[in-house]
Amino acid sequence: MQKVYPSNSDSSADKFPFSVGGPVGEGKLTDDELLLRQHFEKDAAGAFALLFRRYYKNLVNHALRFVYGREVAEDLVADVFTHFWQEELYKTVHTSFRAYLYQTVRYRAYNYIRCELHPANPLEAADDQPTLTYLQPDQIIQYSELQHKIEVVVQQLPPQCQRAFLLSRIEGKKYHEIAQVLHISSSAVEKLLIRALQKLRQELQAGRFLSYLLMFFTSAI
Amino acid sequence: MNQEQIKKMVFDHFDGKATLIQRNFLETWLTDHTHQELYYRYLDEWESERPQLALDTDDAFGRLQHRVQVAPALPVVGEKTKRIPVQPWLIRYGWAAAATLLLVTGLGGYLLRDQVRYQTYQTAYGETGSYQLPDGTRVTLNANSTLRVPRFGFGDETREVFLKGEGEFTVTHLPTHQRFVVRTADDFQVEVLGTEFVLYARERGKRVYLRHGKVKLGLPQGRQLTMKPGNVVTVSNSGQYRLQQAAPAQPYVAWKDHWFYFDDTSLLEITAQIRERFGVKVVVADTALAHRRIAGNFKAENADDLLQTLAGLLNLSIVKGPKHIQLEHPKEVN
Repeated sequence: MQKVYPSNSDSSADKFPFSVGGPVGEGKLTDDELLLRQHFEKDAAGAFALLFRRYYKNLVNHALRFVYGREVAEDLVADVFTHFWQEELYKTVHTSFRAYLYQTVRYRAYNYIRCELHPANPLEAADDQPTLTYLQPDQIIQYSELQHKIEVVVQQLPPQCQRAFLLSRIEGKKYHEIAQVLHISSSAVEKLLIRALQKLRQELQAGRFLSYLLMFFTSAI
Repeated sequence: MNQEQIKKMVFDHFDGKATLIQRNFLETWLTDHTHQELYYRYLDEWESERPQLALDTDDAFGRLQHRVQVAPALPVVGEKTKRIPVQPWLIRYGWAAAATLLLVTGLGGYLLRDQVRYQTYQTAYGETGSYQLPDGTRVTLNANSTLRVPRFGFGDETREVFLKGEGEFTVTHLPTHQRFVVRTADDFQVEVLGTEFVLYARERGKRVYLRHGKVKLGLPQGRQLTMKPGNVVTVSNSGQYRLQQAAPAQPYVAWKDHWFYFDDTSLLEITAQIRERFGVKVVVADTALAHRRIAGNFKAENADDLLQTLAGLLNLSIVKGPKHIQLEHPKEVN
């Protein structure tokens, strides 16, 4: 039955009929990832610009779910791209660029919240290359669980506390601006923000979310 | 479990709706590295469907360039750049080398000019593909289609792409109200600001179906036509066009999920569609049979699926030849 097809329409294309492409390194599939990879060989700077444009928004969106702060998320993603460019990781990364970017953004986001919620616990100079290769399945799953947990905690903050938290972290408002919106004093705003972080710390610790993941990373590095 | 079901499960997991049993399944599934790649592809898709903020990629890239010098001429950047002391001989031979390099890149550039100038998105027979362009516009290509997007200058002043085949465009409306133009062969173009439409541009003719927004069509000989949502415009190769007022979306978008949508469609037309989408030539020699009309939805990921269904439906036999497949009435057995 197969032989009725012209040679360019068989086997490999059948495996991923819906997909934008196939696994990396497996031939001629028209994945934008694959095109980017070829482009990097010809014109790294141009390809880098495309890579950035392709993934920037989605990565910031993803980082937001962990760090819950606009500026932090944008900076974090920019850092990941900067590192990727400066260290020429497009030459060495073992996974697809997409997998590398998402893994690294998650890792850095995780490090960020761990540092923010445990200031006493000094951050061991975050290794920038924890994820040039694939992760353990349970690590991948735990990232999603951490993300859901954070969302639930923020959703359950008392209304006033939640508003102050979002105004500060997502809209980038200063204390006195938030104070005006909420009709309270600046020091009351500060207290609300502290309470929000405390709540996050308590809940994540209770679920052992922060220490749990860390274990894998220290052993993986 | 098929790929669609797994994707659903991964999406449920991202949404926080997966059961413990599904979690276990995914954990096992993720031990395979190709599955991890699939996982991140789904994650990217999931994120792109759930934006939380308006973000400005151009602005962010500008800031990044400010921090890191990303210039095509200087592949080594940042602290790693070392200044090499220039020696007199280097200047003389340096120019010669530069001239040679220029000649070589010039020649290479000439030979590869289309590959260099355009990013090409291409789908094989029987395969569809979804892509996001640098300006955020989403394009889904039907099988056997090619979209070329300029690598340089796209989005600077104009957004112009070239389509051969069939594709659905969800064009991002930019704050600058920049036009997005899809050109096809033969002087035909579709011009929009931000909208959703399906464009068919193959050998047999052109067709545009507008889902939302407003579209301006540029027809050959400088004629123009403005479309409203729900309109379908069909343009024949001779330049004749026909506008249909309110059309249902289904026939024009069914291909995205590998469906064929037939509504009083002749077998002849169906064979033309099979050829376009799967690259398989089907011949119906009997004229009366070729004009038999069929209605219904058929899901087919390859030509065989569809041919088997048609043969069953019309009680025909499929005869496979070396170059084409023939559909005919079964030979009567005496």
